[in-house]
Amino acid sequence: MEPKRYRPRLEILQGTLDMLILQTLQWGPQHGYAIGQTIRTQSAESLKIETGSLYPALHRLEKQEWVKSDWRMTEANQRAKFYRLTPKGKKQLLQERDRWSQLVSAIGTILNPKRSKG
Amino acid sequence: MLSWLFRRKRIEQDLDAELRSHFEMAVADRIAAGEDPASARLAAKREFGNELQAREEARQVWRGGLVALLSDLWQDVRFGTRMLFKNPGFSFVVIAVLSLGIAGNAAIFSLFKGLALKPLPGVTDSSQLSVVLGRTIDGRGIGMSVPDYRDFKAADQAFANLSASQMIFASFGRGVDAQRIVAELVTGTYFDALGVTAQLGRTLSASDDVAPGQHPVAVISDTLWRQSLAADPAVIGKTIYLNGQPLTVVGVAEREFNGTVVSMGVDVFAPVMMQPVIAGPSRLDSRGIFSMMVRGQLKPGIGVAAANAQAELFTRQLTAEHPLTNFTRRYEVVPIWQSPFGAQTYFLPAIAVLGGMGVLILLIVCANVANLVLVRGLSRRGELGVRLALGASRARLVRLLLVENLILAIPGALAGVALASFILPYVAMGAASSAPSRVFLDTTVDGYVLLFAIGVAGACALVFGFVPALRASRLELTTALNDVSPRMAARGRMRAMLVVSQVAASLVLLVFAGLVLRSYAAAQHASGGFDATGVTSVAIDLQTAGYDEPRGRVLVNRLLDTIETEPAFSTGALAMNSPMSLVDGASRQTQIEGYAPRPDEDMLFLYNVVSPAYFQTLRIPLLAGRDFTRTDGPASQGVVIVNETLARRFWQSPADAIGKRLRSGGDWKIVVGVAGDLKYSRLSEAPRPFAYYSLLQHYVPAFAIQARATGDVSYAMRRVRDHMQSLDATIPIVKPTTLGEQTRAALNVYQLAASALTMFGVMTIVLAAIGIYGLVAYTVRQSTQEIGIRMAIGASRSAVVWTFLGRGTWLAGIGAVIGLVVAIAVSGAIASLLYGVGARDLVSFSGGTAVVMATALLASLLPAWRASRVDPLTALRRN
Repeated sequence: MEPKRYRPRLEILQGTLDMLILQTLQWGPQHGYAIGQTIRTQSAESLKIETGSLYPALHRLEKQEWVKSDWRMTEANQRAKFYRLTPKGKKQLLQERDRWSQLVSAIGTILNPKRSKG
Repeated sequence: MLSWLFRRKRIEQDLDAELRSHFEMAVADRIAAGEDPASARLAAKREFGNELQAREEARQVWRGGLVALLSDLWQDVRFGTRMLFKNPGFSFVVIAVLSLGIAGNAAIFSLFKGLALKPLPGVTDSSQLSVVLGRTIDGRGIGMSVPDYRDFKAADQAFANLSASQMIFASFGRGVDAQRIVAELVTGTYFDALGVTAQLGRTLSASDDVAPGQHPVAVISDTLWRQSLAADPAVIGKTIYLNGQPLTVVGVAEREFNGTVVSMGVDVFAPVMMQPVIAGPSRLDSRGIFSMMVRGQLKPGIGVAAANAQAELFTRQLTAEHPLTNFTRRYEVVPIWQSPFGAQTYFLPAIAVLGGMGVLILLIVCANVANLVLVRGLSRRGELGVRLALGASRARLVRLLLVENLILAIPGALAGVALASFILPYVAMGAASSAPSRVFLDTTVDGYVLLFAIGVAGACALVFGFVPALRASRLELTTALNDVSPRMAARGRMRAMLVVSQVAASLVLLVFAGLVLRSYAAAQHASGGFDATGVTSVAIDLQTAGYDEPRGRVLVNRLLDTIETEPAFSTGALAMNSPMSLVDGASRQTQIEGYAPRPDEDMLFLYNVVSPAYFQTLRIPLLAGRDFTRTDGPASQGVVIVNETLARRFWQSPADAIGKRLRSGGDWKIVVGVAGDLKYSRLSEAPRPFAYYSLLQHYVPAFAIQARATGDVSYAMRRVRDHMQSLDATIPIVKPTTLGEQTRAALNVYQLAASALTMFGVMTIVLAAIGIYGLVAYTVRQSTQEIGIRMAIGASRSAVVWTFLGRGTWLAGIGAVIGLVVAIAVSGAIASLLYGVGARDLVSFSGGTAVVMATALLASLLPAWRASRVDPLTALRRN
């Protein structure tokens, strides 16, 4: 067995997972596994979503009625639970993106004070 | 609940399927990427991470606060119930101990309920009734006169309804079959105001109460109907005789209703307008005779204070309008439980004390159960440790333990209530058996009592469950899971504290029980100022037998002749009332010659009507002057004998009183003698002025034959009956008894308190013994190894016994000291129950301590002896 390498892992900020899921669902209904894979590939493998966080998050979103779920067949002909965005979810996504960009710019200002001057 | 259960199931299945499909897809992806199926599954599994957590968290999402709580609770309840059945021995002991404590408290509560919460069964909201009563300037509670009541009712604005009644003792039936009952003479509004209906016929109404003597009708009680009239369905329209007067029965009151005298069963209700016919000279127009008990419900929104203000205004108007007849009293309104009429006045203080004792015993029970739970907590440490390790929160664990205790508490409460209903008759009726008339107290176990018991048991469960639960939840994981070591002696500290507190509490109870028992004993031997032993008290009623005054006077004289010559009596007399009869007898407005009373002075004095030789018979000392004689007849100068208190109040000394004059209504009477003070109603009463009138001058038709037996009192009783039989067989003997028996009623309170406290004392000492035994036995078990070592290096068996005896008695000693301090501090609280015994009576205190210490010694002896039987070899080999 090879010794474990130290590999700094990007931890998803508290609360951002919900936004990422909503964002992923923007392109159409997907099942849990696909959502996880999409986030992974789109983040160039740096964000890995644990099953233990993904499903509670999905259920949380469903309870808030930001997503809706139903059972369908996948392309590989497998039964899976598909989640899709509701209008309420779309609104939520916009809000969260807004908040996120505010946060990013705020943090950016702190990290790079010069730029804010100019 | 059900739909929620279904939904939960569906969510669960859904989640299962979802996670499974995720896993399958992950595996499929890996195989597609070229891995072989087996390793693909393994890798996927690893990647999957903590599936349980995912599942649990996703599930949590779907549960709201209340639903989650309910679901957890339901789980706890199911689990707790399983544990209860898994550990039947433990459960049984806990439930048994708990039910003992609940039983005592439920019994006391039932009494309290009967007196205060449901004082008048059958009456709508009887605990909400207010009573209008007069107060003399001394604060003595009296009734209202009939005219005053009429005026009060006319002026009243505060009451939604008002009714009044006067209670009389009367003979029911005619001739030898007559019996003495309690009757109420009631106003027309009585039944309607109280919300009492008739189960047969009708009740009385306003039209039955219009003109004096014109309405010879009556409503009878369910009890009388069943016991004396064989529940005759055709009783309506039949004639009954009350004090010899015919009354037509118009109705039978509803079953529950027993009249409005708290704790007394009233059997006949007749219109108050019949009073002149049924009960002697008319009181209907006299403002000086305060015989009506007035009660009613206040209008909504009107408080007792407002009603009182109105009553005060009324008193002022009355005094202005009738200045001559209205002195010495004011009217006021009080809630029924404060009313000075009925049993609650002398029982409630006792019950308050008993209630305090009840709380104490409950604490002991809690301590005992807490002890048991603690011990079991030790054996469950492993289980609780596992729960913590699996991620149960401490709060959840505490809740589980509390729920388990509650589950034990409910059967404890039910068993306690069952036990209470079993012991109640002995406590309550033991006290009632010697009462002057049918005692009625609703002490049945009903919703109130059940609710009370469950509430108390629940509170207990929280108390005894909380401490052990907190301890259990504080356990350290590693030690809990690995703990097999015997080093748990430190945890005995809490149990030791519990034992100490139990010993202390039981000592307090035992000391109090001792005090009350000694009071009871003292009260039994208390004279009350007279000597009742060997004296008959046979009540007869001449009016019932149709005697008018002239014929009655002849019979009285013949009776006195007979008594004088009968060898079975050393001396004998006739008397209207008996002393210590629990209720105040007749009283009269009295005028003293040459004395101008203050306008507010209470000149209403109790009196008795007696024949010559009364004082000699009851051995009441004559302090000055002479007794009544046969020559103090209707034609001669009116004479009166007063008691010492009256004599000293108006004249300097008993000797000075002789020859002075007083009057109540009629002519002036000369004071010819001064008698010693008696306890006229109760043992606890303060000395009060009292007057005796001569039966030969002041004829009354109903009296008791009180004769002192030369030998056997039952033979004397037989002789009284024989003589009555030969004088006139139609005269009813209302109540043949002895004076001793009769005055014992005054001891009710002491007897009740003594029997209840003794019961409690025995219970607590048993519980304390169990506690001490348990603790010492436990210590012995924990120290087996230590004992082995000691014995191996030469300790003798007796040294071992002494060590453990010492531990038990040391704890008991600490408890006893604390208990003594507490008992001394609070013994003032039971002063109202004491008679002839100081609150710091040495005998009670030392006796209680001796019993507690002896019990502690005995309880430690067995385990200590067992410790000495330990075989050093086996003990050392064990670990």
